[in-house]
Amino acid sequence: MTPRKDLLDIQSLTDEELEFILVNAVPFKNLFKRSVKKVPTLRGRTVLTLFYEPSTRTRSSFEVAASRLSADVINFSVSTSSVVKGESVLDTISTLEAMRTDYVVVRHGMSGIPNLIAKNTTASVINAGDGFHAHPTQALLDVFTMKEVFGGDVRGSRIAFVGDIQHSRVARSTNLLCRRMGMATAMLAPGSLIPRDTPKEISVFTNWDELYAWKPDVIYLLRVQMERQNVPFFPSVGEYHRLYGLTDERLKRVRDSGIYVMHPGPVNRGVELNDSVMTYDRCLIDQQVENGIAVRMSVLYWLKPGSVVEEAKS
Amino acid sequence: MSAFKLFKGGDIATEDKRELTRADVLVEGGKIKQVAQNIAAPKDCEVIDCTGKILLPALFDVHVHAREPGQEQKENIASCSEAAINGGVTGFVMMPNTLPAIDSAGVVKTVLESAAKCRIPIYTSGAITKGREGKELAAIGAMKAAGVVMITDDGFPVSNPVVLRRAMEYARDFGLILASHCETMELSGKGSLHEGSLSYSLGLEGIPAISEEICLDRDIRIAQYTGAQVHIQHVTTARGMNTIRRFKEEGVKVTCEIAPHHLIFNHEDIGDYDTAYKMNPPLRTKEDNAALLQGLIDGVFDVIATDHAPHTPFEKNSDFASAPFGITGLETALVSLYHYFISKGTFGWDVIVKRYSAEPRRIIGLKPVPIIEGATAEFIVFNPNATTTFTKEFMKSKSVNTPFLDKTLQGSVEHVILNGKILLGR
Repeated sequence: MTPRKDLLDIQSLTDEELEFILVNAVPFKNLFKRSVKKVPTLRGRTVLTLFYEPSTRTRSSFEVAASRLSADVINFSVSTSSVVKGESVLDTISTLEAMRTDYVVVRHGMSGIPNLIAKNTTASVINAGDGFHAHPTQALLDVFTMKEVFGGDVRGSRIAFVGDIQHSRVARSTNLLCRRMGMATAMLAPGSLIPRDTPKEISVFTNWDELYAWKPDVIYLLRVQMERQNVPFFPSVGEYHRLYGLTDERLKRVRDSGIYVMHPGPVNRGVELNDSVMTYDRCLIDQQVENGIAVRMSVLYWLKPGSVVEEAKS
Repeated sequence: MSAFKLFKGGDIATEDKRELTRADVLVEGGKIKQVAQNIAAPKDCEVIDCTGKILLPALFDVHVHAREPGQEQKENIASCSEAAINGGVTGFVMMPNTLPAIDSAGVVKTVLESAAKCRIPIYTSGAITKGREGKELAAIGAMKAAGVVMITDDGFPVSNPVVLRRAMEYARDFGLILASHCETMELSGKGSLHEGSLSYSLGLEGIPAISEEICLDRDIRIAQYTGAQVHIQHVTTARGMNTIRRFKEEGVKVTCEIAPHHLIFNHEDIGDYDTAYKMNPPLRTKEDNAALLQGLIDGVFDVIATDHAPHTPFEKNSDFASAPFGITGLETALVSLYHYFISKGTFGWDVIVKRYSAEPRRIIGLKPVPIIEGATAEFIVFNPNATTTFTKEFMKSKSVNTPFLDKTLQGSVEHVILNGKILLGR
């Protein structure tokens, strides 16, 4: 396996790399049962988090993962209030370059910013979500979670994404990885939230009855974000919930069929799901969070830290 | 300087037939004195061996952003004119999206003063509306008197159809061609590339083909209704082209242009967010490439125009959505068209002469510059056996935002002659 500097998307991962990350996440997760959860793997290394979009979950997940590997973790404060363009991101990057950080974990509202950063720094770049483009660690932790649930093999399982597909990097990355793992995938959303150029191998449904008939093993709910919408994509949150949300009535049917429910968080209660979903025994949301740490540890362990390149040069 | 120049042994291209004619060309002063086989060099004559090379009328580009006034860090009229010469172009029309916009006789005079200092004739368009804001008509009559050859709000459409109707009715009586950048702004939204498989996989907002096609259809209908002459800029979709074809058959006074990059590249070339492939209108699909190419061969497109749009490396080295739209084209157009099409036999030199030399001059009221006895000596010597590497050093433009940067293509513009003077000799 050739050492790799960056994790930017799912497409660029080889099968061998995928396997490596997913397999090594298991021993990292086993650590969590111990009283001392820390290993010295990345002692002396610096992991810097650079979040241009507000996020508590993903950021803390990376911080916990890096700390458990004994890396030094630094939160670099950047503006999350306005639109920060690529050119000013590059100014920040040249500052970081001077600080000789090993890993940069970046989240940005514009697609392609991590790719731009990766081209302009020697540090190892991990995409923690960019625009509507990609969220590779989310995809990895989702598949890791499903592997646990389905006894190690997800091939042939069926997953349906429900919600704002149009604006979802999770839908893109997780969907792509699921298909690579041999799963069948489907989507349910109002027509205005389904991207026009959705790959043909993904089934697209317009209502829940079609979805039930498809017999999914997992329903993956996506956050519905009114704030992204300058021209509204649907009439109201109420109508969305009634027609597309996981209501109590629909949860009953989901429970009867033994379908698992996943969500990347944070959830919008009363929009894409009802409160009762949170206590449903096949709701995997907490498990996703826990696995997120293990998978991110595995990613940090797999990537070649940036400053190694520097040492080799000098 | 010698009184005579003899271009010996080259093949001469014309606009009306694909076959080339082998002949020597004798230039005296600014004029072509003789075109014939085996001309004996007179006394005091510089002889330029053109064996194996093509002589073609010099090019003319109706769509160029010279960025002056206001954005001279990207380009100015002087650097733009040298870039043009470097590509075999001996005249062009500047677009009015400068800072301030070319929307008054005063600004027209200023840019024409800069233009007059250059080695080639440069023309300007003027804005349709004040500040290119699409609201009130700019001083079209005064700008015409000051010398504009075209009006356009290029970069933006005139979104309000009433404003466009008034502009067409008004410009019609001044004999001014109105050039349309066709885009439905609401449909384009924040889009930065063609809406398709790549906008999906890169997670970027797309510019749907219908954004261009709806506006194009609307603008030609208004031209038809008002009897104005409309020129559709940078057509990118097969459907849009077919709309133009249909209206032409109905007798509407519509002309249109194609940019080389819309023939050569498609949206997949953007790959990993490469901003050298970001322009507006965007690169479309492979199928569009093929249809547009056929349209050029069939004569749907009146002219080839580059939409030369310089931007600095700093501006282009940004994320895809934030980087500005546009690529340079003056220096790469002819060589790239040779490399991708003529050298492969896709079309002949006649297409270049007609669409990138003769017709562009005609649509703004100039005479073409054929290589015939008695005509002004304004032609290019092109070497099909040499190559061109488009390095930063090669380029005369202040900007190098082109997908061809550091690429080597077949063909080379070796000499550019204007009024008998050799402006470029390699």
